[in-house]
Amino acid sequence: MNLIEKILARASGRKSVSPGDVVVANVDTLLLHDLSGYLTARVFENEVKRPMRYPDRVVMVFDHHFSPPSEERAQMLEENRAFARRHGIHLFDCGSGNIHHVGVRHGFVRPGTIVVGSDSHTPVHGTLGCFAAGLGNNSHAAMVMPFGKAWFRVPETIQIKLYGSQRPGVVPRDVALWLTGQIGEGGAVYKALHFDGTFIKNLDVWDRWLFPLITIDVGGKCGFIEPDEKTIDFVRRITDRHFDVVHSDEGTDYAEVREYDISELEPQVAASPTLGNVKPVCEFVGKPIQWAELGGHGGGRLEDIRQAAEILKGRRIDPRVKFNIVPSSRQVFAEALREGLVDILFEAGCTWFPPSTGSNQAINMGAMADTEAMISTHARNFPGRNGSPKAMMYLGSAYTVAASALNGQITDPRQYLV
Amino acid sequence: MVGGTCIKFGDNINTDVIIPGRYLVSIDPVELAEHAFEPLGEDVQTRLRKSQVVVAGYNFGCGSAREQAASCLIGAGIQAVVAKSFARVFFRNSINTGLLAIQCAEAVDAIEDGGEVWIDPQRGIVTSGNRQFAFEPYPENIRRILDAGGLLSYVSKYVLAARR
Repeated sequence: MNLIEKILARASGRKSVSPGDVVVANVDTLLLHDLSGYLTARVFENEVKRPMRYPDRVVMVFDHHFSPPSEERAQMLEENRAFARRHGIHLFDCGSGNIHHVGVRHGFVRPGTIVVGSDSHTPVHGTLGCFAAGLGNNSHAAMVMPFGKAWFRVPETIQIKLYGSQRPGVVPRDVALWLTGQIGEGGAVYKALHFDGTFIKNLDVWDRWLFPLITIDVGGKCGFIEPDEKTIDFVRRITDRHFDVVHSDEGTDYAEVREYDISELEPQVAASPTLGNVKPVCEFVGKPIQWAELGGHGGGRLEDIRQAAEILKGRRIDPRVKFNIVPSSRQVFAEALREGLVDILFEAGCTWFPPSTGSNQAINMGAMADTEAMISTHARNFPGRNGSPKAMMYLGSAYTVAASALNGQITDPRQYLV
Repeated sequence: MVGGTCIKFGDNINTDVIIPGRYLVSIDPVELAEHAFEPLGEDVQTRLRKSQVVVAGYNFGCGSAREQAASCLIGAGIQAVVAKSFARVFFRNSINTGLLAIQCAEAVDAIEDGGEVWIDPQRGIVTSGNRQFAFEPYPENIRRILDAGGLLSYVSKYVLAARR
């Protein structure tokens, strides 16, 4: 069995499982954000009406609101707080950071565990050797909250082997954007994706993170990276809580193996309407942008902020561009401050926003008029997610975002990296 | 047997198209239905409300995990979605909310937009005009959730009842 099958077997009290089996498994962590958590809470209290079985496993993070923009939204957050108090679940209020980063940085994500959440990017936690999948409200309200369980169909697994080394100016996010196009939206529907190969093994944890992150956007159920010393050190530095690392058996079978050499890649950009619309940056050079952002489920890591600072140090962004920096957690902001990055980017004309999930779905920032365009490190570029369905969203690396902000148009960052 | 008039879409219809994020504070299927497919314009919305079946290409319901993408269709009077394939969270949410989600690529190719489509979930047959197409019926444990009308009613009907 591979790691996913072993975790599902153990959590459902079976000796073994095979793809296609439907199992009912114990869940270790449930991650809710301020929007989905509100709905789940209402279904749980109004329809299920049972006690919260394991409140210590349930985590709610206010990440789409770093501060409520309206009375209606303020009321919603107040109801969430009251729900958290009534049931004794963990609450991370406005300003804590993005749901997934908060979950990891507070030790709720540990190797060998099952993590579920109603955010579709929940599979990102496979980075740490978990089985992690996005579910809907009813799954959480009807099974996870009252019983600590959820039903799962055991997926077939595809191995994605990446090898080669990047050209200068090309970063792991470029590889992840490109890989989304290679696998294709819907190219791995219902599958588990094992991200593997020398390229993945050589990355640090926060760069590995960008790969399981794409799982949902190629249709996958979960993605994972085999845990190694880096993974274990990373989690040990965060939490004292016990965990059992699970490894895949030697020589497990895959439904399919796909290999990719990333050595020839150029910086990539994915333009609206979908993530599959990804091309080398040269094909978009010159497209005007008025907004730039490091944020969303994909961005705002310390690595992104360092890249932007590398390009913008001693320079000023185009006066027509608004470049918003959204740290993915409070820890990231503190580290950026210590490294002097806050000052460098402030002097370059950027605006620092509170730790949150940024303008993902434009809940309290980042809406655009139909004539506007943004380049960002977000995870999605679907029309209408940031205001007008006519507004354009381009996704790129933090290097490409920063270089484009300098010029008010999409720019190949490599000219600033020599 | 469920079915009636259909409305047909292409591939990769995402959840932001099915139900835009700004309406997600609601969980009332009828309220949500007013905004179903809003980004595609009023003509599509009017046709949706007069249809009983949604027909789509590959990867229907990709994107966000929002359960309202399934429940808004129920609120609009849709009884089944027939697609070439489904995004898995949408498929799961359909079962958990009691909406029939049928994977049958051959049927999708044959069905014309606005035509009549009938589905027999027990026997696993989609009928369009005088043509019939077979699909793999649901496994027993999934079918029981659907028959109960979704996961909430399934749990209260079977799981909780068994404990009493």
